[in-house]
Amino acid sequence: MLQLTNVSRSFGSVQAVRDVTFTIPTGSTFGLLGPNGAGKTTTMRMILGILVPDAGTIRWDGKAIDEAMRRRFGYLPEERGLYGKMKVRDQMVYFGRLHGMRDPDVGKRAEEWMERLGVAEYADRPCAELSKGNQQKVQVACAALHRPEFLILDEPFSGLDPVNADMLLAILRELQAGGATLVLSSHQMWQLEVLCTDVCIIAHGEVRANGTLTQLRADLPTRVVVVEPSDLALHRVLAAEPGARELPQENGMLRFDVPQGIDLPSLARRLVAAGDLTRFERLDPTLHEIYLRAIGETA
Amino acid sequence: MNVLPIIFQAEFLRKIRSRPYIIGTVIGMLGVALIAFLPGYLGSAFNANSKTIVLAGDPALIARARPLLAKQYDIVATPPAPAAPPTIADLNRNHKAAAYIILERRPSGLHATAYARDASAFRDAFARDLVPLNIELSTHLSQKQIDPLLTIPVDIKSLDTKFRSQSDSDSARAVAYALIILLYLAIMLNAQSVMSSVAEEKTSRIAELLVATTSPMQLLAGKILAAGVAGAIQIGAWVAAGYVAALQLAQSMPRTGAAAAAHGPFGQFDVSPGLIVAFIVFFIIGFLQYVTLYAAGASLINRTEDLGSVTMPLIFPALASYLLAFATLGFPNDPRVLVFSQIPLIAPYVMFTRLTVSTVPIWQIALSIVINIAAVVFIVWGAGKVYRVGLLMYGRPPSFKQVIAALRA
Repeated sequence: MLQLTNVSRSFGSVQAVRDVTFTIPTGSTFGLLGPNGAGKTTTMRMILGILVPDAGTIRWDGKAIDEAMRRRFGYLPEERGLYGKMKVRDQMVYFGRLHGMRDPDVGKRAEEWMERLGVAEYADRPCAELSKGNQQKVQVACAALHRPEFLILDEPFSGLDPVNADMLLAILRELQAGGATLVLSSHQMWQLEVLCTDVCIIAHGEVRANGTLTQLRADLPTRVVVVEPSDLALHRVLAAEPGARELPQENGMLRFDVPQGIDLPSLARRLVAAGDLTRFERLDPTLHEIYLRAIGETA
Repeated sequence: MNVLPIIFQAEFLRKIRSRPYIIGTVIGMLGVALIAFLPGYLGSAFNANSKTIVLAGDPALIARARPLLAKQYDIVATPPAPAAPPTIADLNRNHKAAAYIILERRPSGLHATAYARDASAFRDAFARDLVPLNIELSTHLSQKQIDPLLTIPVDIKSLDTKFRSQSDSDSARAVAYALIILLYLAIMLNAQSVMSSVAEEKTSRIAELLVATTSPMQLLAGKILAAGVAGAIQIGAWVAAGYVAALQLAQSMPRTGAAAAAHGPFGQFDVSPGLIVAFIVFFIIGFLQYVTLYAAGASLINRTEDLGSVTMPLIFPALASYLLAFATLGFPNDPRVLVFSQIPLIAPYVMFTRLTVSTVPIWQIALSIVINIAAVVFIVWGAGKVYRVGLLMYGRPPSFKQVIAALRA
């Protein structure tokens, strides 16, 4: 379990991270979300010991993170970096060895990853000669080759085409199944939604929402109801509901934001009585909606 | 787990497999061999050509002059004085001689007119060989009476225990000259190579990945060690090439071959084990001082194009030390040189030069080594801090204030 307690960090007069507290349970997949400049990368760098917090503590299984622990971690930074002139295989082996792997295991594991990612034919080519997508795959392999128990991936899907994004998704699911704790930061909400069990949303360096996805959904004060057809009589019933707020229509369906505690069966009965109701559905809030509410933008 | 050997191995292999390193080593070897071999070879080749002459004039006079010139010149013909000035065709007809010298006796003494194929290449040294004949003709003294008067025996006794003779001292200067250039090249080329490597990691963002796994100090240490070993191999190759070339040249020269066989390619000056140790010690000290500074400088840039702005201030002490080292050759025990031989960044060049061409008191050597090792510790400490902070500093180049703040952190 990773625990951040009242962690702060500033750069000169800019407070990048302020009093951040959250817990990442072992084996969970944790989404760290926030707008650009929110302090996500700074938080990740502090977890990895690249930056030192000005205040607060970061502990892994109750202990301060030392160099030996960091070697069991993995990291895929947002800004990708490879040695351009180093061969693909050598690059993987080098990072594997830096993470404590030994010969000949590290060589075998590198071969396995190259096969799996479809870059085996480039094993003896310098990384600079690979396409951007293939370089991205090599980076992922460098981060995960040593089977880290804790892996941080900053924008892992950026630059990948849909096929390769699916491949990465499968790899992450496999790591999840293997018991690794994953921390993901991405602006691709749907990918996080399918992967993450826990989420922390930060903005302006402060935690705005934190918990399991189920909890965050439950905590949201409103729900969206969808009604079809877009009929005046049905519209009147919905608009008359206390606390209801109309949202833009989608595909000819009425959409209303209603308070979470609303009596849905009663509303359904009134709608049936008012007109020819063909569809009535209450939608669970999406991560996108949770995110927008947390950072202060309405959905 | 100590990752230093892993970083060292990766950096070392990356360096010695890189094209610039291989090309630099091979071209350096050829260059050093050429520098050692070419001047001697060309000198002897040009000399051989410029020593072929035609000696013309009154046969009686020529008969007396010939033995005096035959020691240094190959006299291919001795015709009487020509009626008209000789031409290039006359030289070509006589084994393509370098000059046509006409000797005549005038009331004031001997007079020689040399018609040289290339006036800039032909020296008038032959006239010195004719001085005894000139005196003999003017004073009617015999050759036996004149010869002892032409030279005053000088016996220079060296009070410096380092050298047995002046030629020893001259040889030492030549060796020092070569070693200063070698020291400068070895330090600067490797410092720049480490700088490029740091800049590559910074600009390609690999640095972030590396420091997530290991400490910046281990990373810096691995890099410097790898560059140091690769640099030492490079110097070894250059020295070996220079030594072999100098030995070949010495053996190929008939007059010096025996001496070379007896004393090595540097004449009677022996490159002692002490001097080799001094070279290694001051190479390591200078290397560590410059390389760590260059690495710290490179960690502050965001684009490789900005490397020049970091290099510029660091080039000055290196260049100044290089020039001071040459000045030291002439005045190795000047009080100012004594001070320079203690100052960090300068001492590796100046003290090494002093050691090569003079006898330096042990306390001065010890003091210089202590001061400079202390400087290495201080520079590594400061540069390590700047490197740690600079490596993750992106965006605008850091201000001087930020660098100071990094040092205080």
